[in-house]
Amino acid sequence: MNLLLGQILNGIATGMLYALMGLGLSLITGVLNIPNFAHGALFAVGAYLLVSVVGVLGNFWLGLIVAPIGVALLGLVIEWAGVRRLYAAGHDYQLLFTFGLALILNELIIVIWGPVGISHLPPALLRGGVDLGFTFYPKYRLFVMGMAGALVVLTWLFLEKTKYGAIMRAGIENKEMVSLLGIDIQMLFTVAFALGAYLAGIAGALTAPIRGLSPGMGVDMLGIAFVVVALGGLGNLLGAIAAGLLIGVAQAVVAAYWTEASTAVIFAVMAAVLLVRPQGLFGIR
Amino acid sequence: MRTLLLIVISILLLPLVVRPAIASEIWIFAIFGLALNLLLGYTGMLSFGQSTFFGSAAYVAGWLLKHYGINVFAALGVGVGVGALSALLVGYLCVQRSGLYFIMLTFALNQLFYFIAYQWTSVTGGEDGMPGIPRPSVLGLSIQESYWYYAFISLLFLLSLWAMKRIVESPLGKILQAIRENEVRAEAVGYDVPRFKLLAFVIAGAFSGLAGVLYAMLFGIVPLEAIGFVVSGNVVFATLIGGSGSLYGPIIGSFVFIWLSESVSTMWARWPLLLGVAFVIVVLFLRGGVVEAWTRFWTWRSSKQTG
Amino acid sequence: MALLETDGLTKSFGALTAVNGVSLRIEAGKLHSIIGPNGAGKTTLFNLLTGTFPPTSGTIVFDGKDITGTPAARIAHLGLARSYQRTTVFPAFSLLDNVWVAAFATSRPWKGLLFKNAHEYPQVVERARAALSDVGLLSKAEVPAKQISHGELRQLELAIALAAAPRVLLLDEPAAGLSPDETRKMVALVRALKGRYTIVLIEHKIDIIMSVSDRISVMHFGSLIAEGTPEEIQRNPEVRRAYLGGVAA
Repeated sequence: MNLLLGQILNGIATGMLYALMGLGLSLITGVLNIPNFAHGALFAVGAYLLVSVVGVLGNFWLGLIVAPIGVALLGLVIEWAGVRRLYAAGHDYQLLFTFGLALILNELIIVIWGPVGISHLPPALLRGGVDLGFTFYPKYRLFVMGMAGALVVLTWLFLEKTKYGAIMRAGIENKEMVSLLGIDIQMLFTVAFALGAYLAGIAGALTAPIRGLSPGMGVDMLGIAFVVVALGGLGNLLGAIAAGLLIGVAQAVVAAYWTEASTAVIFAVMAAVLLVRPQGLFGIR
Repeated sequence: MRTLLLIVISILLLPLVVRPAIASEIWIFAIFGLALNLLLGYTGMLSFGQSTFFGSAAYVAGWLLKHYGINVFAALGVGVGVGALSALLVGYLCVQRSGLYFIMLTFALNQLFYFIAYQWTSVTGGEDGMPGIPRPSVLGLSIQESYWYYAFISLLFLLSLWAMKRIVESPLGKILQAIRENEVRAEAVGYDVPRFKLLAFVIAGAFSGLAGVLYAMLFGIVPLEAIGFVVSGNVVFATLIGGSGSLYGPIIGSFVFIWLSESVSTMWARWPLLLGVAFVIVVLFLRGGVVEAWTRFWTWRSSKQTG
Repeated sequence: MALLETDGLTKSFGALTAVNGVSLRIEAGKLHSIIGPNGAGKTTLFNLLTGTFPPTSGTIVFDGKDITGTPAARIAHLGLARSYQRTTVFPAFSLLDNVWVAAFATSRPWKGLLFKNAHEYPQVVERARAALSDVGLLSKAEVPAKQISHGELRQLELAIALAAAPRVLLLDEPAAGLSPDETRKMVALVRALKGRYTIVLIEHKIDIIMSVSDRISVMHFGSLIAEGTPEEIQRNPEVRRAYLGGVAA
């Protein structure tokens, strides 16, 4: 029983990270109307950047600030140099472009950081665990839960309570209207891409001390981000959280009893949900 | 007719230029490309999970070949069947959504199959792949020798091309293209669009499955990559560089892609980097594919000659 | 006898009721027009009749059968065909293929779906050519739809509906965006179709409506506010107030 409760907590922590990934992808895909196959690679870059920044500056907190900003800048460059020229192209070419980027980033990670996995310790402050009564739980995971939760809330505040956030939501619903309002839609696209990249980057940075790093981490996370969006719906914040938690907890619980199936179960859960609700958890097209 | 002649000539000349294994791979990949293009070019559905069917067929047929010594026709039949069946399962979940959701779902379900293959090591061999797949004789004729296998593959390719040509020129092909052109109107004039999309998906799955078995018998092994997303991406890339607008585009794409990747992959272990760069370059500068670039070149040339 | 009949047909999108309790009787062989200002719910009514989405409440009866909630793809087979206000054709197809697709759907010689070329179905091709000829586009049969003019696209739009050999033809502003000259041609076309089909026509241009209709229904804010012959509608004070204003006075 305690094992199960511990696993559910683990599931909530990773589920929040999945929600962050889905949220970032949802912004990029929803606002720009492109399939972003580089989203997983941005996540991986975030994790590796954290390790390097911590290595150079010796401070985890600085790394947690700098690494996602670095990924956001990378997002800016990608949007500016490539994606921008493909809005009129079909999804097929947009896909090929972002997929090509994913391959490039993935290989660059191997060239720079090597093909072997790296483990990374949490900062001294967050090592060890706390006694929650029913289980002794790692502090760092609690921190991740809180941090991811805070980021989701911040994103929600931005989208719901700020004028620019409202425009961004409108951009997901109806691009024509946004252009009619005289808003610089190009700027909106750039900001959405950078923001989505930032969320992927910080999810990666937060993940590094939990799971360690390996070049394949990006692709694995890409599939998961797709699941979150497919189940939660584009631009649906609650949907992203619900879908992230659902697959995070399912994965953690299955991992306790049948470790081999713990990744496949994410996709199996998605298939099962779609079988019952073809339009996703909240029935959005 | 001229195109057919050109293809037959290419089949005859290709083994003189490249190793028979690569020549075989080109025609196998061309079958795979034909399958994807039925979805991408004809129906307007971008499947980014086509290796699901390629890989599943390769594993199941490979396993039966290895452990039960089934004959070559049974293996081909199993491959086509498994390809179609897995496509039916995946397609059922995917065709109800369109656009970006469809793309993401095909990828996510591809990952499902990949992780099953990755973890089910007792059957698939996991990361080591499934080795030791035999290549049984065809009606008493051995196809062990690589040129004979090449001939066998070439024949199956021609058969596939003929079948695909029939499909796209038939009313079914017209209906699929109508769905690509205007889904709403296709529905309004009386076609059950999701059902036709599913049908296209299953047919493409069957062809992909055929390609998968031939691939397994070619190398005697099913590597884990056969069911991975990179293969799904490669077939999209090959189809797009060949040009998804025509039946023959994927064949040209297969030539270019296999030849490129074979020559580059032996040079540098980090060749996917170059592949990624190639994707980006094609997208930014060569949209429309080789066929279109070629036509543009010819119109440019003829306009210079007349002008 | 009414060929197409609705009873209390209602469609709500959230708080907005686009079609509100519409009861309509379309007599066989007649041309029945539906008029009303923009946003009156005319196109939504068409979408309900053709199964684009199901009604919130109410029923649709076609030829004595309740067809409420039947999906769009089935409706076409029952013999209801529509044209769209915003042209929606198959752009890369030749004009012949545009109508061929519609003709094939409802003729369904399903046997040989794979074994013959698309154009080896003589009856289907014949019907497709007849539909093109009806709208005067036969000479352009081989031209791709994306290369023809807006006026011709409107004719093609109509031809696609005709190719389904329907019993009821639902025409959504066939003259939308046409020049006066093209409009005259379109009106002549609709008049030529009158009698051959039962026609339900949505149109904005009052002069067209008054000259071609057998009956007219007036929609306002989702509801029917009047129905009658063109003369009756012209005299109806409520209609004049709500819609015609000074136009027909």
